[in-house]
Formats: sequence, structure tokens, C-alpha cells
Amino acid sequence: MNVFKMAWRNVLRNRRRSVVTIAAMAFALFVELLYAGLIPGYLRAMEEDITQLEIGDVQIHAEGYRETPSIYTAIPDPDAVTAKLDALEGYPSAARLLGGGLAASGEFSAGIMLRAVDVERDLKVCKVAGKVAKGAWLDPANPKGVVVGKHLARTLAVEPGSEVLLLSQATDGSMANDLYEVVGVLGSVAEATDRATIYMVDDAFRDLMVMPTGAHQIVVSRPRTASAAEAGDAVAAAVGEDLEVKNWKQLMPIIAQMLDSVNGIIYILYFIIYVAVGILVLNAMLMAVFERIKEFGVLKAIGAGPLRVLFVIFIEAAIQTMTAMAIGFAAALPGMWWLSNKGIDFGNVGGMNVMGVSMRKIWYGIYEPSVLAGPVIMLVVIVGMAVLYPAIKAAWISPVEAMRHR
Amino acid sequence: MSNTPVIELKGVTKVYQQGKIEVQALRGLDLTINKGEFTAICGPSGSGKSTALNLIGALDDATSGTVKLEGNDLSTLGRKKRSHIRRDRIGFVFQAYNLMPVLSAYENAESVLALQGVPLAERKAKVMPLLKEVGLEGMEGRRPDELSGGQQQRVAIARAIASSPAVVLADEPTANVDSATAEKLLDIMEKLNKEHGVTFVFSTHDPRVMKRARRVVMLVDGRVDADQHKESGEDAQGVPQ
Repeated sequence: MNVFKMAWRNVLRNRRRSVVTIAAMAFALFVELLYAGLIPGYLRAMEEDITQLEIGDVQIHAEGYRETPSIYTAIPDPDAVTAKLDALEGYPSAARLLGGGLAASGEFSAGIMLRAVDVERDLKVCKVAGKVAKGAWLDPANPKGVVVGKHLARTLAVEPGSEVLLLSQATDGSMANDLYEVVGVLGSVAEATDRATIYMVDDAFRDLMVMPTGAHQIVVSRPRTASAAEAGDAVAAAVGEDLEVKNWKQLMPIIAQMLDSVNGIIYILYFIIYVAVGILVLNAMLMAVFERIKEFGVLKAIGAGPLRVLFVIFIEAAIQTMTAMAIGFAAALPGMWWLSNKGIDFGNVGGMNVMGVSMRKIWYGIYEPSVLAGPVIMLVVIVGMAVLYPAIKAAWISPVEAMRHR
Repeated sequence: MSNTPVIELKGVTKVYQQGKIEVQALRGLDLTINKGEFTAICGPSGSGKSTALNLIGALDDATSGTVKLEGNDLSTLGRKKRSHIRRDRIGFVFQAYNLMPVLSAYENAESVLALQGVPLAERKAKVMPLLKEVGLEGMEGRRPDELSGGQQQRVAIARAIASSPAVVLADEPTANVDSATAEKLLDIMEKLNKEHGVTFVFSTHDPRVMKRARRVVMLVDGRVDADQHKESGEDAQGVPQ
């Protein structure tokens, strides 16, 4: 007895019911596929915005700097550290100098955070240069040029071409002050950057703050194949124990936790949608099995074992599930293409801050095999669970009882 | 007909629950059926004939007593072994035909052989002549809903005997067909019995079956009330009738 042929004919036997069951499965898969790609797209974009714009995937500081930031607590030989990281494939790094001070322009002034970068190396680690809304990014050939955060520029009433006076205390105790030219104004990056950050060239910072050597922070980017934790471990192993190495999730634990919980919400929603489908499949399979219970009784009477009966029912469910998968994928493909290439335009909502991180204007979906596997596996598991009860009932029922069934 | 017993029932009782009521279907049934017999088990409704057939067919368990098929005590066998015995040693013909509606006449007839794992070519060589013998030549590809009741019962007979079982158990095989068809079905089964030595045991009310049967066992209240061997004109104990 060809079990596959029998199962296939049984699926075709009650076409309306099979069509409804397959349609429900296909629709659920269609929705889940689109949704499954959108959420990781959002999460990845958010993670990239957090890491690639400013903080990097991993940061290295001198011990104690993060607890009590001080211009004197510096990594003594940042070049040696970045040289070690250059030896690791896929871990570009850049040293930064950080300091606080005051900026003034005309009648306006504001407390600021100075962030000085090695322009060439920083471009390989962070994408903040791409966020310049007006003017241009830093140029090492113009050490007097600075780039100002969006809201800070408004506070100081500056724009590209304006002069800004920076005041601080140098490492030798002297008053650090100099005039700089605003060469660029950033768009929305992150709350702290927008309100109070001025980017400058590292050599200019060294001159201003009288700090010929050292750096306060080394920012490292990670390959996409490594998780944040793996990257942190790899960097820590490369640079040695006397420096503090933290991955971005350790640096921003609240945001990391929020992203993880969003990930959990995906699975809750998968579950809710599929439970509804599971109930429909269970109902359809219960009807399909119980209206044929007499036939299963006959099958068992003529010598078919319970496993064969179980197999027939599971093959029927598998045929319907695979058909639904083909339809669900075919229906979702154009949507997946659209979401991954064109994305959803949030218009004015784009650029809004979510927990201090600026949201992108366009939300793209990510459709990789690992993302698509989730909805498919969940569908198979839910259908399998829904079919299990009627299948077991049919497989282990006594032939006499089954043949008496009305 | 030989004197080799195929079926032996000794002191068989069967009690089952019908809702809250306990029903005693068999009350110490003793019955031996030999190879090659063409036996009808008769009796009024509730006399226990279908229950007896279910026990002989390893479809149900006796409450007490022994049921032996070719010497194997069915009550001592596990589910798997009983399933194999049903597949390999027993053929079933049911009142409602009970064919698989999604399978063709040929596929239904070969289903037991397929369950046994007999190769395709061998199945075909065995089943095609059988379908011809039961008068279904040219209808092999038809599904049950494209066949009349009598034709469906012929397919069921072909399915029952395809694997050369020790016994064919037929539960009211003529109940759902008209007289002419019933006679034809009985002709077929009688021919198979005479020419191939297939042992048939019927459970029936049908006088046509009782007339054709060479042995008629009358059950009343779960016990043998009369047992007549027509050829010898004696009952099972040798008492002239």
C-alpha cells in the first residue's frame, strides 16, 4: 500500500477543507515571514545606529576611566593597542581623546563634550561622518575645523563657516582656549551627541589640551559574524589584561535589554498567530480523522500497525504544510523584496529618539535564511502538535471500536 | 475438508460494558472449525455471533477461555503479533464492504499483500487473476464509489483471499445486497472454498447463506444451541438430526 499515494488522495478527497487549512497555514506563514524580517531589520538598524555611529562594538579604556572620567586617566600607548587589533582580521579600531569644556559663539555659550578622532582610522569604525547635515566632516589638513551636534549648533547659533571659542583646562593646569571654525553640523545622531558634542581632529585636541600622548578611548568595530560578547572576548584577549574592555551591550545595558526583549516579543507574536492556525489545523485534522475512523479501523483490522496509520495522517499533514509553505513563500516574496530594498518610510517620525538613539527614517527588512527559518520551523512544530492528538487517537484505537464508530 | 482444526474456542466468555450496563455476550462458547469448512454462525440479534467472529479475528479479547487460531492462543499474543496474524492468516469480509474509498478496486484488493511487503510484480500476478475470478475484469481501476454494492463486496472478497489466509471471516456479507447479487457472491465464495480449499466462517441471519453453508452453528444467548453438519446429517457430536 503506497502511503504517499493514499495520503495525497485523502488530501484531495475533501478539497474545500484542505483548501481552507492550506490557506490558513499559508496566510500565517506569509504574515510571519514579512514580520520576521522586519523586526530583526529594526533591531539590527538600531544596533548599527548605536554601535556604528558612535560607540563602536567594543570600547577599550584605561582602568577606572569609565567610573570617574578624567583627562589624566588615559591609555598610555594607544598605537600599540590599535596595532595589536590590526593583527585581528575584521576588527578595525580608532583611538579617541575625550574632554569636557565650554563653547561660546557670539552671545551664546554651552557646556560641551569634546570628542577628538583620528579622522582616517575613525572612518573605518564609525559612520558619524555620514551624518553631517550641513557642511563637511573633519579634515586632518584643517586642524582648526570642528563639527558640532545638531541641537548644540542651534544653542550656539552656529553653522558651517561660524567661529566657535573652546575653553577648557589643559592637562598641565593651564587654561586651554582657542578659536575654531565650524566646518559641519551633524544631523540627528543620539541625544547626548546632538545636545553637547563637538568633534575635532586629534592633533588639534592634543595642542589645545597639552596632551602629547595617550588616548582616553579606543573604539573597535566587529565582524558581523561575531556576537557582541564574542567580539568583546576576542578584543580582550588581544589587548591584554591591564585595560578595561567592554562590548556595547555592557556599555549600554538598558538598550541591550530592550532589544533582547523585542526579540522575545517576536516569538510571542509568532506563537499567538500560530496557535490560532494550530487550532484551525487541529479542528480540520480532527474532522478529517474522525470522519474516517472506520477506515482506520479497517486498515488496522487487515493488519496495518499503528505506526502506519500514524504515518498516513502525518504525511497528509506534511503534504498540506508543504503546499502552504510554497504558497506562503510565493506570496511573501514580492513583499520581502519590497521591504528589504525599499523599506517602510516613516517620514517625519524618522530621526525620532528612542532611548537616546535616533531612529532611521526608513525601516528595512532583513530576509536571510536564519531569519526565515523561524516561521517555517514554528509552522512545522505547531502543525505537528495539532496533528498529534487525532493521529495518536486513530493509530491506537481498537479496530472493533473504530469500526463501530458512527 | 480435513480434520485439522483452524479455529478452537474453549469456554470462551465475553463481557462488555454498554454504558453502565454489563452485557454478557458469550457464556462459555466451545467451537472447533476445521480447515476447508464453509460454516455459518447464526442466531438472533444479541446471540453473540459478531462477538465470536471478532474474537476469532483477533480483533477483540475474550474475558475468559481460550481462542486458538492454527494452534496459537490469541489471548497470549501482544498487539503487534495479533496485527501480524490478522494480516497474514485471516481475511475479512465486512457487511458494509469497508473498502478504502481513495483506492481503486485493484489497490484495495492488493492492500493486504502490500502490507505484507510482497513485491509489486508478485502482487499484480496474484491479484489480477483473482479480480477476474470474482468477475471484476476491466474494473480494476474503479474506485469504490464507481462500483455497485455487489461489486464492492467482490473486491472485499478478493482482498480477503489475496494473501491465502487460513480463514476468511465474513460478517453478514450479503446483508447489503439484493438476492441475485447475494447468490452470485455466495457462488464465488463457494467456488473458492471448493476449488482452493479456503475456509469460510460467516456470521449471518441470511437464510440463503445458511442454505449454502455445509455447517450451521446456531448461537443462542452466547452459547452453541445447535451445530449441524449438513453433508453428514449429524450434529457436531454425531447425533443424527
